[in-house]
Amino acid sequence: MAAIETRGLTKFYGAARGIEDVTMTVEPGEVFGFLGPNGAGKTTTIRTLLDLLHPTRGSARVFGLDSRRDSVAIRARLGNLPGDFGYGKGATGREALALLGRLRGVADLGRAEQLAERFRAELERPLGQLSRGNRQKVGLILAVFHRPELLIVDEPTSGLDPLMQEEFLALVREERERGCAVFLSSHELDEVERVCDRVGIIRSGRLIAVERVGELLGRAQRRVSVEFAEPVDPAELSRLPGVADLSAEDGRVRFHFGGEPNALLAALAAHRVAEIEIAHPTLEEIFLTYYEERREG
Amino acid sequence: MSALIAARLHERRRSLLSWGLPIGLWSAFVVAIYPTVEDALSKAIASYPEALKQAFGIAELNSVEQYLNAEMLSLIVPLAVGYLAVRSIAAGLSGAAESGRLDVLLSAPISRSRLVASGFAATAVELAAVLAVGLALTALGSLLAGSGLSFTKALAGFANVWPLALLAAGFGVVVTGWSLRTSVVTGSIAGVLVAMYVADLIGRLDTDLDWVRYGSVFRYYGRAIDEGIDPLTFLGVTAVAVACAALGALLFERRDLAA
Repeated sequence: MAAIETRGLTKFYGAARGIEDVTMTVEPGEVFGFLGPNGAGKTTTIRTLLDLLHPTRGSARVFGLDSRRDSVAIRARLGNLPGDFGYGKGATGREALALLGRLRGVADLGRAEQLAERFRAELERPLGQLSRGNRQKVGLILAVFHRPELLIVDEPTSGLDPLMQEEFLALVREERERGCAVFLSSHELDEVERVCDRVGIIRSGRLIAVERVGELLGRAQRRVSVEFAEPVDPAELSRLPGVADLSAEDGRVRFHFGGEPNALLAALAAHRVAEIEIAHPTLEEIFLTYYEERREG
Repeated sequence: MSALIAARLHERRRSLLSWGLPIGLWSAFVVAIYPTVEDALSKAIASYPEALKQAFGIAELNSVEQYLNAEMLSLIVPLAVGYLAVRSIAAGLSGAAESGRLDVLLSAPISRSRLVASGFAATAVELAAVLAVGLALTALGSLLAGSGLSFTKALAGFANVWPLALLAAGFGVVVTGWSLRTSVVTGSIAGVLVAMYVADLIGRLDTDLDWVRYGSVFRYYGRAIDEGIDPLTFLGVTAVAVACAALGALLFERRDLAA
């Protein structure tokens, strides 16, 4: 049974579109990246799954249960970290944890203590006195302390320092090993690439692709910048399949490349290369790749 | 649900100091000065126009209980505690939505209606506690000044505020089912309370307009400190408050909780 299954999930805010016809499946034990720019509909999708928003049409099922009718039973099995975790100013993380523990029927908060130590979370200070990153750590603990079967995290690493981002990604991998499905919403391609098995790309409220991470990156164009130690005719590279947007200036050639890597390496190896830089595609470049494919299709 | 109520009460514990203490100290001051102003007050009241005395429920001020009622329990305490009730409800629902707390709580396996019910119940307890602090300080003031305030009568006077304030909380829940903006919830219900008081006042000033009082909870509020609590109106207003909360919970269950 799928951890998440949506069919034509649509949410309009009056006349404004939130999401439209989102159909996807997330399997148990899978880390599913939900990638899209700000305002694309990621949070709307999550809030609809959590029954905080009611769908205009379509359906969402979590563990086979209807997201609206069975929302309480669903929430017993999941953990959720909102994008900008907040809990009021006066309460401490420990007070929030104690309440959530009682609501979830979890008496042993040992795992929460371990996580607090691991993430160096300050549970004793009022949440209003904490930085966004430190609040986010408390939110993360509240989302996973009860060992959920499904973890939904919305922009989880925003505000976390690089060390804690690493720790978070390690935790996501551990949760996956435990059999937990993770629905990770992000606009950081790098973050998604490192932990996700599959990625759904959403833009302007529509899910435009669902792919395995390797396939997604393999199809996307990389930005290549090469500085040659000798004069090279740029046309030689522009003839290479997969090269686009080539420009040459002061012995440095820049282009986008979406072809066979070995062909590129062979072409470059024919010359003396002083410096080479191959950058990951940005999220925008991946979107462009998909739009190009759609236009061509 | 008891966990939610306990957590809400823990968060709202300061209202005993911020609301119970000022109300209690002010009321204590009122009863404490009564022996020194008693004679002057009687003369002054005798010179007031009858309609004015009737409108403000000060036909007689020949006891400390009547003085406490006129100064505090006829207007200030019900409006203040009514406003506290709305603030308390708003903090637990619309305020929680604004702070993100609602998202966290509704990630746990509890229904929205339970969340509303627990917030309403916690507010009911908070109001009772604030009124109890007010009553205790008032009784202490009387004791220290030797004003001779009847504790039983004072208890009836303060207790009678509770259903009225609870009704304000019930109205607050209904508005929350429509708007999750704290300023809208508190502002609109504060306005309703004041409008109800004014409607009651107009009805008492002009008997031809007595019918407007039927829409005001103050018509049913009465003078419990003199006449004792009317169980029918006490329970009736409480029942309407609970019904409003139930309606609000239904609306809250159906609405979107946008980020």
